[in-house]
Amino acid sequence: MLHQDRRAANGESRTPPIASAHAPGALLTEIAPASPADAPAAFGFALGWALAHANGLILWAAPEHLEAEHGAPYAEGLAQFGADLTRIMCVRAANQTDALWTAEQGLSIPGALALCMVAPSPKGLSLTATRRLLLLAEKHQSRCVLVRLDPLTASAAWLRLSVRGAPSQGAARELGPPAFDVRLTRNRMGPSGHSWRLAWNAHDNSFVPAHALDGDLVQPAPHGPAQPRRVRAI
Amino acid sequence: MALADARAIYPALDARPADPQADAALLDQIAAWCERYTPIVVIDAPHRLFLDISGCAHLLGGEAALLKDVKSRLKRQRLCLRAAIAPTPGAAWALTHAGERESVDENHLAEALAHLPVEALRLDTSAAALLKRLGLKRIGQLCDAPRAAFAARAGQNAMLRLDQAFGRAGEALTPRRPPPPLYQLRKLAEPIVTLDALMLVTQDLCESLCQILDEKGFGAQYLRITAFGVDMRLHQIELRLSHSERCPKMMVRLFREKLEREAERFNAEFGFEAVRLDALETSPWILRAVDLAPREAIYDVESEARLIDRIAARLGHARIGKIGVRDVHAPERASAALTNASLDAPAPQDGVMRRPLTLFARAHPIDAMASVPDGPPLRFRWRRVQHIIVRAEGPERIAPHWLRASDAKTRDYYRVEDAEGRRFWLYREGFYDGAEPPRWFLHGLFA
Repeated sequence: MLHQDRRAANGESRTPPIASAHAPGALLTEIAPASPADAPAAFGFALGWALAHANGLILWAAPEHLEAEHGAPYAEGLAQFGADLTRIMCVRAANQTDALWTAEQGLSIPGALALCMVAPSPKGLSLTATRRLLLLAEKHQSRCVLVRLDPLTASAAWLRLSVRGAPSQGAARELGPPAFDVRLTRNRMGPSGHSWRLAWNAHDNSFVPAHALDGDLVQPAPHGPAQPRRVRAI
Repeated sequence: MALADARAIYPALDARPADPQADAALLDQIAAWCERYTPIVVIDAPHRLFLDISGCAHLLGGEAALLKDVKSRLKRQRLCLRAAIAPTPGAAWALTHAGERESVDENHLAEALAHLPVEALRLDTSAAALLKRLGLKRIGQLCDAPRAAFAARAGQNAMLRLDQAFGRAGEALTPRRPPPPLYQLRKLAEPIVTLDALMLVTQDLCESLCQILDEKGFGAQYLRITAFGVDMRLHQIELRLSHSERCPKMMVRLFREKLEREAERFNAEFGFEAVRLDALETSPWILRAVDLAPREAIYDVESEARLIDRIAARLGHARIGKIGVRDVHAPERASAALTNASLDAPAPQDGVMRRPLTLFARAHPIDAMASVPDGPPLRFRWRRVQHIIVRAEGPERIAPHWLRASDAKTRDYYRVEDAEGRRFWLYREGFYDGAEPPRWFLHGLFA
């Protein structure tokens, strides 16, 4: 049993297994908002995920028209979120194809992380596109995070997370740190279906369990393996 | 002649105030147009141009045909001109000044210039007046006179100009567009039409250019390919790089990216007969030691620079960049591309996020209702959805720039969270005590 899981069984406050056990192996992660209105939360979670897992360049690629819908990345806000601005390269692509091409280019740098927004479209992203990203990431030892605002279709992703903004806890009328309700909807390396309430720690660039949570939201998987298997995608 | 005298002679005279700047701009435009004949066009202000047509005249069927072409085309544009072809710039100047002959070759130079007035030698007015007072009215007379005595009286300039006109002294002219420091040219036996053929030539050019760069210890930062069409049209592709490059493979790759992108605009028509690669900007190549045993996975600057070049070659330079923080109060102006912003923005000590992750270029107007006039809103409607506010912090007052936007209103910003945990950055513009009720806007979204 993993150290974290043992502590989980004891009901202690712990590092969520999502941030430690599964993530290092996940080369392609998909983050989807639980509802269209949760898109900002999905952006924030994806950025946090990128900051927590990449120690190199972060390439943020988004099609231009998403800016009208969700706003453009804002430097001061990113810095307050804990991002190191020297590491974040923003690309405003003219369309989705260019954004994905940019992500593919970014993946060719070892250690880089490509964060690509996928805009809503009737058909959704094709399996081929995600497979290309995964193969590039495998080849160059880089990572890719897709923020899926389109319908979720078949994909080569190792992890898929559904994100919803969580209400702040703490003193009345005060906004706490960014908090997210995260549900692991797909996991190629082990069991899925868990959910966590995570808060973002901007100082350490890490997700921590939201403090005010008393109950043990993270159940050890009843039928899944304790030690997640490393399996190759597809 | 004074304007009054001129009007007395010709009452319908149309007089306009002089505009030297507009004249200079027009001359520059004409010079740019003249680059169709030769790459070396020299502007001689206020109203003369020198075209160095050495080796260019045969392209238009000889010197006489070229001169005719220049004159007829410029006359069609309603420009008055005098043009002449001569072996030296000074002689050409003299011929246009006199306006008698249009073309003279080397053998007849002395004879052609001999009967021209001394003013045709580009002398300043006092020197010309002195020569005339001495009875030397023609260039021929000046040639026969003893040099030393005249140099002492009319100044060194008179003799220099004379020598320049006859080609005895050299004359350096500064072209309007200086030739590139390094270039490679391939003249092709047969015109090429296909993209693949053009890429082959490009590769060849890049390889030989990189060889030269290698020898000099330089790398190119700004490259341009000029393809000369058979129909005399030029096609150019420019490539700007974020670092100095001297690897032909990388250059070809970026050019291919650009060419494939612009293939439709890039119409070869009847084919290209020559291709030139210019290195417009070069900088010394810095050799870096390779860390053979890096302790941690750090990205290296070089691969990042190559990534930027690759993306910029395809998407354009405006679409890629790091964003930084500017030291201004207005939120919409505080985030900017790297050129005038700082990347060094420490997170606040208290860990509170006071600024949103994403900001709208234009704040969205919303319907909001506040419980007390200066308090945060209780609920608001944005994109037809009602949000009930549970938590709010603020206000943070941001006054408009007194000089830049003196008529803008003061904004009070609030960070609010609705019942579902979604966070927004709202502001109220104006105050309740004014004539107009204040308006509410949504400016950004928090995670």
